[in-house]
Amino acid sequence: MSQQIVVKRDEERFIPLLWTGKETELGYEIVLAEPGASVTFRGLLIGRSDQNLALDIKVRHEAPNTTSDVVVKAALSDMAKTDITCLTTVVPGAKGANAWLAAHILLLSNKAKGLAIPSLEILENDIKAGHATTVGQPSELELFYMMSRGLSREVAKQLLVQGFLEDIISTFPPALARRAAKELAL
Amino acid sequence: MSSDARSIRASYPLGFHKPDKSVFRTPKGISREVVEAISYYKNEPEWMRRFRLQALMMFEQKMMPTWGADLSGINFDDIYYYVSPADRKFRTWDEVPEEIKDTYEKIGIPEAERAYLAGVGAQYDSEVVYHSLKRQWEEQGVIFVDTDTAVQKYPDLVREYFGTVIPISDNKFAALNSAVWSGGSFVYVPKGVHVEIPLQAYFRINAANMGQFERTLIIADEGSYVHYVEGCTAPIYTTDSLHAAVVEIVVKKGARVRYTTMQNWSSNVYNLVTKRMLIEEDGFGEWIDGNLGSKVTMKYPSVILNGRGAKGEILSLAFAGKGQHQDAGGKAIHLAPDTTSTITSKSVSLQGGRSSYRGMVKIINGAKGSKSFVRCDALLLDEISRSDTYPTNIVNEQDVTLGHEASVSKVGEQQLFYLMSRGLSEAQATSLIVNGFIEPIVKELPLEYAAELNQLINLSMEGAIG
Repeated sequence: MSQQIVVKRDEERFIPLLWTGKETELGYEIVLAEPGASVTFRGLLIGRSDQNLALDIKVRHEAPNTTSDVVVKAALSDMAKTDITCLTTVVPGAKGANAWLAAHILLLSNKAKGLAIPSLEILENDIKAGHATTVGQPSELELFYMMSRGLSREVAKQLLVQGFLEDIISTFPPALARRAAKELAL
Repeated sequence: MSSDARSIRASYPLGFHKPDKSVFRTPKGISREVVEAISYYKNEPEWMRRFRLQALMMFEQKMMPTWGADLSGINFDDIYYYVSPADRKFRTWDEVPEEIKDTYEKIGIPEAERAYLAGVGAQYDSEVVYHSLKRQWEEQGVIFVDTDTAVQKYPDLVREYFGTVIPISDNKFAALNSAVWSGGSFVYVPKGVHVEIPLQAYFRINAANMGQFERTLIIADEGSYVHYVEGCTAPIYTTDSLHAAVVEIVVKKGARVRYTTMQNWSSNVYNLVTKRMLIEEDGFGEWIDGNLGSKVTMKYPSVILNGRGAKGEILSLAFAGKGQHQDAGGKAIHLAPDTTSTITSKSVSLQGGRSSYRGMVKIINGAKGSKSFVRCDALLLDEISRSDTYPTNIVNEQDVTLGHEASVSKVGEQQLFYLMSRGLSEAQATSLIVNGFIEPIVKELPLEYAAELNQLINLSMEGAIG
């Protein structure tokens, strides 16, 4: 399923995504079509069992002074897999564009797999663009600290995962945030 | 000569070329006969002849890459695959033909460096004509010869490693190189030997329409160290030229290899190079790769971390000017626990040039405790240039740390204003900022390369402003 989203003049669009793997593929094509358009994308991917979450995000800056801020975080347990491909394009003439793209993957099991391809195509020089990717696991040191305070390893791990995802969840509208919290509590 | 070619020549300071004095050359185009002729002319053993023919079959089967730069300008039938400039090899500098020395003179190899040249493999056209090894290295058991000589003199050693790091089936251009390769360096460093002075090779292609297919194989045995330096600068031709090299490096347990390349092909060369290092336990392999010239470059030096504690580092620098596409980057494949890789890429695009970072980090399941960090920065100097980043991160192991960061920016107005308020012209200020931007890579280069690079950037910057 691919969604096309066109953002108009001076419009600020917020797109939250909570994905627990009911679908196998999700795609977004976001076009910042007119000056001043801005998009903020916050994605939360929770993968379990043998789910494969393939997320494809394309952002096109087609007008001056457009802003995109895309952050996706994934927490994968069991044998879950994720493919995150993002492409941000800034066309010539889209002066003052500001593009940010980040994908962070937390692996909670040794069978989990992550793939991230955050690409940029920049054809205009008066812009700011960046991206970042990280892949890692919960820090042993932090787990140890919490366990030394009497928490079980499982609870400590869950707290770390919640902490990792908190900055995404906190941007969600209340109903979605409650759903996210419920998913994580499982 | 067309006026187009004249204008290229005028804009390229090293764009002179010598009249062509080749002794043996195959007809244009590639066929079984051409490959057989090369092998026959070189008087190669049967296994190498078969290797070439097998590679030719692979080359014919493989498709052109469907990604990356535009390669439609390459006409495989319009290329000479083998040209030999002289029938004999020279042991000392005095014996090198005047014409060839003259070529080096123009590239500007400083007088003081000539002493080092005693240990330098100088490649002119497809053949290494000059090869001499410093006595001290010979005493240490270091082998530094051109690959053709190595096939004759050290067949067992060559056969053991040749084509093992980059198999002929790897990609179309590696297959092409395997079929028609000629020249390149062969280096063997015995156990525990540290080669203090970098081994250097100068490459040069000179016959119009002639491709260069050198083949380099470096083997660093356990606990050894070697730094190999390669620099390229080519004269201008009026038609397109192809450079498809293969560099294979084996870094054994606890050994360290550093490979520095500074390539400044003229702006009509397709530079399609496959470079790979296989690094064993506790070994350390480094690529320092600078791409300045050429029309199209596709080059992704790779490190395969194959033993516990192996380390790989790639520093990549791309400079894309008018009509150029630099598609460069790096690959790190983590196959063993506690392996570390770092990729740093800096690219500058100007005057409508396009630079792309294309990289891959792959960590397989079981490579516990692996760490990888990738950083790529791009600088866009004007409105008509382009910069792309295509990083692929594949992680199949939980116990890893992987980070990737990229940024694209232009020269800051504030920085420019500050420098200009101190009396620098806009061009001077810009080249100062560009030089500062690439500094992390330049500081790893041998001094003469760093100085040359600095000069080249200043040169490119002229006319980039306004």
